[in-house]
Amino acid sequence: MTEVGIEPQSRWRTRRTPTLARLSLYAFVALLAIAWGTLFIEGDSGFTDLFQGRTWSNASNFLYRMAGLGMQDTPAFLLPEQWWATGKLAYDTLAMSVLAIGIAGAGAFLTFMFAARTLSNGALGGKPSLVGAGLYYVLRIFYAFTRAVPELVWALLIVFFLSPGILPGAIALGIHNLGIVGRLAAEVVEDMDPAPARALRSSGAGMFQVFLYAALPQTLPHLITYLLYRWEVVIRTTVVVGFVSAGGLGQEFRLSLSFFHYDQVTLIILWYLMLVMGVDLLSAWLRKMARFD
Amino acid sequence: MKPDRLTLESPHFLTLLLFLAVAWSITNLDWGGPMLHAKGGQAALNLLSAVFTPDLSPSFLLVCLQAAWQTLSIALASMTVAVAIGFPLGIVASGGLATPDSRLRMGLIVSARFVLGAMRSIHELVWAVLLVAAIGLSPLTAIVALGLPYAGILGRIYAEFLEDVPGEPLVALRSSGASSSQSLMYGRLPMCLPDLISYTFYRFECSIRSAAILSFVGIRGIGYEIQISLGDLLFGQVWTLLFVLLGMVALVDFWSGRVRHSLLTS
Repeated sequence: MTEVGIEPQSRWRTRRTPTLARLSLYAFVALLAIAWGTLFIEGDSGFTDLFQGRTWSNASNFLYRMAGLGMQDTPAFLLPEQWWATGKLAYDTLAMSVLAIGIAGAGAFLTFMFAARTLSNGALGGKPSLVGAGLYYVLRIFYAFTRAVPELVWALLIVFFLSPGILPGAIALGIHNLGIVGRLAAEVVEDMDPAPARALRSSGAGMFQVFLYAALPQTLPHLITYLLYRWEVVIRTTVVVGFVSAGGLGQEFRLSLSFFHYDQVTLIILWYLMLVMGVDLLSAWLRKMARFD
Repeated sequence: MKPDRLTLESPHFLTLLLFLAVAWSITNLDWGGPMLHAKGGQAALNLLSAVFTPDLSPSFLLVCLQAAWQTLSIALASMTVAVAIGFPLGIVASGGLATPDSRLRMGLIVSARFVLGAMRSIHELVWAVLLVAAIGLSPLTAIVALGLPYAGILGRIYAEFLEDVPGEPLVALRSSGASSSQSLMYGRLPMCLPDLISYTFYRFECSIRSAAILSFVGIRGIGYEIQISLGDLLFGQVWTLLFVLLGMVALVDFWSGRVRHSLLTS
C-alpha cells in the first residue's frame, strides 16, 4: 500500500467525474423520470390502492392466515408429518440445484478452453487457426445467449418437450449458469500467465496437455469457487423454476397458493429459507476450506 | 486473491466432492417415465427451427417494443426503490453511522444486516407471488417485489464497499477533527462512489431480466408476451421476443460497461 499524497495515481485522489459517467447519470435519471411517469399515467399503477382500507385489510388477512390463525384444523406447520412431506420436496429441490450446478460445471468445463481468445489467436503457443477463431465466436455468442435468457424462460421452453419433474428445471438452471460460468472461466484463461502454456507447447505438448497442465491448474480454483457462488443463487431460483417445471417445492408452493392453503405456504417458505441459509453456509464453508475464497 | 494460497490439493478434493454431489442428484431423477412428452421431439424441433423464421412483421415488432418498454420501466422503477432502501441500510450495516454508544452501533449493524439478508433470501418472483396474494396485482406489486431483494443485494455490497475503503485518509480526516458523519460524507462515500455507481449499473442490467420474468405473475412485459406466444404455438414470435430481450440486455450491458470503464480507470 502506497502512502497517501506521495503516489499521485492513488485511487482515492480527488478527481473530476468523467463526462461519459456524468452524461450517463443524467440519461439514467431522465429514464427514471419517464418510467415513473408512464407507470402513473398509463392508468392503474396500484399506488392509489395503498390509500384504501380494503388493501390493508386484505394484506393483514393474508398474514393472519399465513400465521395459521382462525383455522378449524391445526396449521400445517405444526404437524410433524406435514414437515416430513414438505421436507421430501425440499430434498428434491436440493437435488435439482446440485444437478443444475453439475450441468453448468460440465458444460463450462468442456467448452471454456475454446472460448478463450488467447487460445484461438495463438498467444498460448501454437498457430492461430480459422477453426479456432470460429469456435471462439460461436462459443462466446452461445454463452451470451444462454446467460441473457432468464432461467424461467428456459424452463418454459424446456417443459414444452421434456416431461415435468426435476430434470427440466435442472437443465433450465444449468443452461443459464453455463453461460455465466463459462464466460468467467474463459476470461480466467485469457488473463492467465501464458508462459507455462508456451513452455509446454515449445517442448512438444499437444493442445490437450496444455489444457491439462497449464490452463486447468490456473482455472479450476476459480471455476469451482464461482460454481459454489452460483449455487447460492441457484438454490433461491429453484423454487421459481419449480413453478413451471413441476418439481420440488415450487410446484407445491404454487398449488398451495391457488388453493388458499396459506398455512402450507408458510411451511414451504420455512423450508425454502432453511435451504437457502443451509446452502449459503455450506458454500461459504467449502470455499473457506479450499482456502481460495 | 493471493496466488500462493491456491493449493491444488483442496480444489481436487472439492472437485471430487462436487462430482459425488452431482452423482447423488442424478440418482434422484425419476427414471421410470418417458423423458420426452409424446410428440415432444417434434415440438422441440419446431421450436428450434423457428429460430430462422422469427416474426418480424411491423405489427408484432410494435408489440415487442411496447413490451420491452413495460419491462424496462418496471426495472427502472424498482431500481429506484432498491437504491432508496438499500443505500441507507447499507450505510448502517457498514457501521458508518455516528452513534454515542458502541453497543448501540453493534446492534444497528447486526439488525441492518439481518434485514438485508432477509430481503435477499427470498427470490423476487416469490416476493411477487406473495405480494399479489396479499395486496393484489398491479405494477406497484412488481416494483416492490423486485425492489426488495435488489435492495438486499445492493445494501450488502454497498456496505462491503464502504468497509473496504483504505483507512489512512479516514484517519487523516478524524485526526483533523472531523466527526464520524463528516468522515462518512467526505471520506468513505467519495472514495467508493465509482464502485457504488458501477455496481448499481450492473444490477440495473440484472433487473431487466428479472422484470421480464415477473410477467409470470401477470405483469405485462416481455415474459408475458413470451408466455402468450408459446401458448399459441407461435414459435417465431417467441424467438423475436427473446432477441428483443437479448438486445435490450446487451445494450444496457454495453452502456454500463462503458460507464464502469470510464469510472474505474480514469
